[in-house]
Amino acid sequence: MKLVIDESRCKGCNLCVLVCPYGIFREGTELNSRGIVAPVLDRPERCTNCRLQALYGRMLCGVCHMICPDQAISWVEEKPFEPHKVEVEF
Amino acid sequence: MIAPDWFRDDRLPHIYCTGCGNGTIINCTLAGVEEMGWKRNETVFVSGIGCSSRAPGYILTDSLHTTHGRALAFATGVKMARPDLHVVVFTGDGDLAAIGGNHFIHACRRNVDMTVVCMNNHIYGMTGGQGSPTTPPGAISTTTPYGMSEPAFDLAELAVAAGANYVARWTSYHVKELTKAVVAGMQTPGLAFIEARTQCPTNYGRHNKLRSVPAMIEHLRSHAMLVQKRDRLVAEGKPIPEGTFTVGELVRRSRPAMGVQR
Repeated sequence: MKLVIDESRCKGCNLCVLVCPYGIFREGTELNSRGIVAPVLDRPERCTNCRLQALYGRMLCGVCHMICPDQAISWVEEKPFEPHKVEVEF
Repeated sequence: MIAPDWFRDDRLPHIYCTGCGNGTIINCTLAGVEEMGWKRNETVFVSGIGCSSRAPGYILTDSLHTTHGRALAFATGVKMARPDLHVVVFTGDGDLAAIGGNHFIHACRRNVDMTVVCMNNHIYGMTGGQGSPTTPPGAISTTTPYGMSEPAFDLAELAVAAGANYVARWTSYHVKELTKAVVAGMQTPGLAFIEARTQCPTNYGRHNKLRSVPAMIEHLRSHAMLVQKRDRLVAEGKPIPEGTFTVGELVRRSRPAMGVQR
């Protein structure tokens, strides 16, 4: 599963930045095409719901999804063989 | 988890301001409906006039957008005509407490079988920030420029006194608890009243030094006090901090209800 922000709905209130226990959402800096500073995702693969939703078969944390007033945050299935950004930590 | 097919995708994004808590309350209510397993053709959403009452327009079910303050009167009619339907009422503080106060206490007294979700944002948001009956004392609004001098209305306590079967109060910060309260209210026969205090950064926070959304949420979170803690403080004889409001399940009882299908 993959965490996505629907930029056509987001109004940039940054409530997800406030509630995410992993700090995945960061306040954005650039205006998008609608003139809204949408939050950016910082290593979204750390999201517990992305990793373990299929294993447990239910919504795990989901607080950002619930608190988002604009229904902009959701999880989508990844396409097969989608490229991943790999970060090596020393 | 909210099923995305409960939203009218062609109507989104909705008209609420940036950071408005009403969208969160819609999420929590729809998650409750989803958990109850109600079908789309047996659920009705009723609302009055105001910011909160735009909510049924974004939900893909039959809904009624009625006159100001009369949402509960229309909902009572729906429930009496078709007791097999599940009725959920979205209403705001100006709608429920000010103009519809009499309908509210009598719906609680009759104990009509429905769920009332009140989005209490302490202000008349849609018309430009006039003071409502739930504006806290000292708060500044466009009609109270020197600070509200009247005491605020405690809607949940009013519902307890008037006889609702389930009364709970949460804020838009407590999403999981609010969802559980909505589910518990839907399971209880009789009128379930859930007051959800929401943030209004545009018309309430702007005049009260809470302009940013996180500041407003933090203000709600820090002024919320669990009922159990309030009771403990009262039992110990300690003072209750100024400006706090109780959150949690205030009452759950089984008075005879009206409109329950047998």
